[in-house]
Amino acid sequence: MRKTYRILPVYTGDVSGAASALYEFGGMTVIHDPSGCNSTYNTHDETRWFDKESLIYISGLNDIDAITGNDDKFINDICSAAERMKPRFIALANSPLPYLNGTDFKGICRVLEEKTGLPCFYVNTNAMHDYSKGQSEAFLSFAKKMLRGPERKVKNGVNIIGMTPLDLTSTEIHLSGGYELVSNWGLNTSYENAVRATEAELNIAVSSSGIAACKYMQEEYGIPYVKGLPWDGRPCDYTETVREKTKNYIVGEPVISGSVAAYIKTKYGIDYNVIAATEITDGLLSGCDRKCHGEEELEEALKDAENIIADPMVRLISPANADFIELPHFALSGRLYLKRIPNLMKPDLYYPGI
Amino acid sequence: MPTSSDESVRIGDAEFPKPFVNGLEFNAPVHGTWNIVHIGFRIPEAHQIYICADNCLRGVVMTAAEMGELGRFSSVVLEEDDMTHSGRIEETTIEGVTDCLRKLSKIPPVVIVFPVCVHRFMGCDIGYIYKELEKRFPDVIFIRGFMDPVMQKRGTTPDQRLRKAMSDIIPKLPVKEDTVAFAGSDMPASENDFKKILEFNAKTVKDTAACRTLEEYLSIGESSLFICQYPAGLMAAKAITQRLDRKYIYCPLSFDFDTVEEEIRQSGLSVPDGFFEDGKEACIAEMKKLKDLIKDTPVAIDYTAVPKPLSLARFLKDNGINVRTVYLDAVDGSEKADFEYLQKNFPELILHSTMHVSDRRPVRSNEKVLAAGQKAAWFEGTGYFVNIIEGGGLYGFSGICEFIRLMEDAFNNGKDMRDIVPRKGLGCRSCI
Repeated sequence: MRKTYRILPVYTGDVSGAASALYEFGGMTVIHDPSGCNSTYNTHDETRWFDKESLIYISGLNDIDAITGNDDKFINDICSAAERMKPRFIALANSPLPYLNGTDFKGICRVLEEKTGLPCFYVNTNAMHDYSKGQSEAFLSFAKKMLRGPERKVKNGVNIIGMTPLDLTSTEIHLSGGYELVSNWGLNTSYENAVRATEAELNIAVSSSGIAACKYMQEEYGIPYVKGLPWDGRPCDYTETVREKTKNYIVGEPVISGSVAAYIKTKYGIDYNVIAATEITDGLLSGCDRKCHGEEELEEALKDAENIIADPMVRLISPANADFIELPHFALSGRLYLKRIPNLMKPDLYYPGI
Repeated sequence: MPTSSDESVRIGDAEFPKPFVNGLEFNAPVHGTWNIVHIGFRIPEAHQIYICADNCLRGVVMTAAEMGELGRFSSVVLEEDDMTHSGRIEETTIEGVTDCLRKLSKIPPVVIVFPVCVHRFMGCDIGYIYKELEKRFPDVIFIRGFMDPVMQKRGTTPDQRLRKAMSDIIPKLPVKEDTVAFAGSDMPASENDFKKILEFNAKTVKDTAACRTLEEYLSIGESSLFICQYPAGLMAAKAITQRLDRKYIYCPLSFDFDTVEEEIRQSGLSVPDGFFEDGKEACIAEMKKLKDLIKDTPVAIDYTAVPKPLSLARFLKDNGINVRTVYLDAVDGSEKADFEYLQKNFPELILHSTMHVSDRRPVRSNEKVLAAGQKAAWFEGTGYFVNIIEGGGLYGFSGICEFIRLMEDAFNNGKDMRDIVPRKGLGCRSCI
């Protein structure tokens, strides 16, 4: 059955994804939820909680307020917190119960803007999707609400879009060839840095979560984008590397997996096919790649594998005779292999080559 | 007196039992307390199945993963179509649980099923689900768990109800008068006067928190007396003793000598000569050692360390210890007398919320602070802390003495707070 998991965990959920994307942007993210979301997030889905402050809260929704649709308490509590904590903006995230009772988040945002004078936006989550969707919605909503046309352009300026610890724990961004980093969404960054994004000449979507915001900036501000990790510090699009069908698989998030596959093909001439196990895949897979949803599909897809690059937990459902290269992914195995997550920008550290 | 909208309040100005206004909630990165996954695994051989949305599932499945217990854990993911099609949520739950069990190499004897808030709000027919599951798996004992935190603010918490559900499967066996069980706690009884007294009375002692086999767990049904020492286990203790027609004693770790003596006397168990006098003397002597050691070092306490944090604060204050802050969000009804005593005699004592929005920016001093409990340690930013939850199985004079010794040890030996407090479920295996 597609919806059951025998041994693998689910990927980080969309609510955590939204919180992770906005973590360093100086706002206040409020998850409308009874309890649990914030604990899950800061325990399993966030590496920065201990060291870096971020205003991420839950509403503490109870049954009566959910049944009666008591939005007043939610609104008043947010206003009090905003007055106290002085965020740059307010972002609201949804969860299953407000989703079920049809809470009007956009309306609440309008009320909050009136009452607090702060920009307020809704991140369309409901806890039923994975983190890539939550991050994508958060980056896009932030872009729509907070970006303005640039006063100046930075020559060869680039933005990194879609970078959070859920996919990339290393904060190192190395650019070469005259490129200059303008804005990073959203690791090792700040509000001031994030809103400079329109000064850039190029966006680099380093994960599927960044694609929607890149498309928006292309349409709204004319900033083109490429997809993929910037190997050797240079923007490149992994989809331009032609790969053939094979029984070597990389399992994970499609942009990162595709980038690694392209790197291996370019450097070693070896084909790997991407098995995208996270949700956003439109335009991100080549003909030899595929999308898998859930443990059962993934186990089936790996049956003929000869070589696998994946998070160590995927080994639990992989054929015993396949060669396995571990590439821990925080959004899957959380803290279990955190200390072993390599800098993805340095593939020689985790792909031994031939 | 108004309830405080600030993150902290002098106890002299605080409102009982809720010193703080409800608002948006912060969550400190401190996770030593047990959640329903840890608790469920207390039943040997039990398998847990959660049926919920991705984001809700993540916390519990990773709890199991970090315990190295994924082999005893399965999940069913709820999606939008389960909410929008009539009857779909029951179907997904039944077929999902069935599929999970059929994928296991061996059907487990006990399965704890956890529906969630959504099941309640969809009006899901839970009775039908269990009826169908029990028909499909007649040899399995299904425990009716629930992960529905939306209900906990105004009623019982999911973990209270889980403890009760876990006790519901203990059968009524012929009573053995010489058998007594500790029940309802997560921590096995350790330095505990009742353990000593039961030994003195030649009783056989069982403990729901320390069973190695399912058979041993179920054999608790032959106990003549149940001892509950943790508030969240009281509902279970009451229910099982009513069902089995047995007696129970409720005695969470208290630091008040009279309370301890009264609770032990009320148990009806024989006590060795001089037990109370010797116990009190030992506590007083140990406390003097502590005072000599730490002098006026500020002390902070949190509610996760002991079931009665104000009882501890009162005891320490009365003995000249510089307790500066107690971290809690509400005061339990059983602590009203201690609250009033502290309010009258030590009005400057600070009560500090652990969830207030301002707690995101805790104000920490550079001075050495001795903390009792992980949350107090995090808020104070100190490595000098007693690493304990739920009273640690301590009770009575021996428990009080041990707690003071732990404070002495904490003062002398700093810990790596950063490494310790984010680990989930103190006392459980941690694979991180």
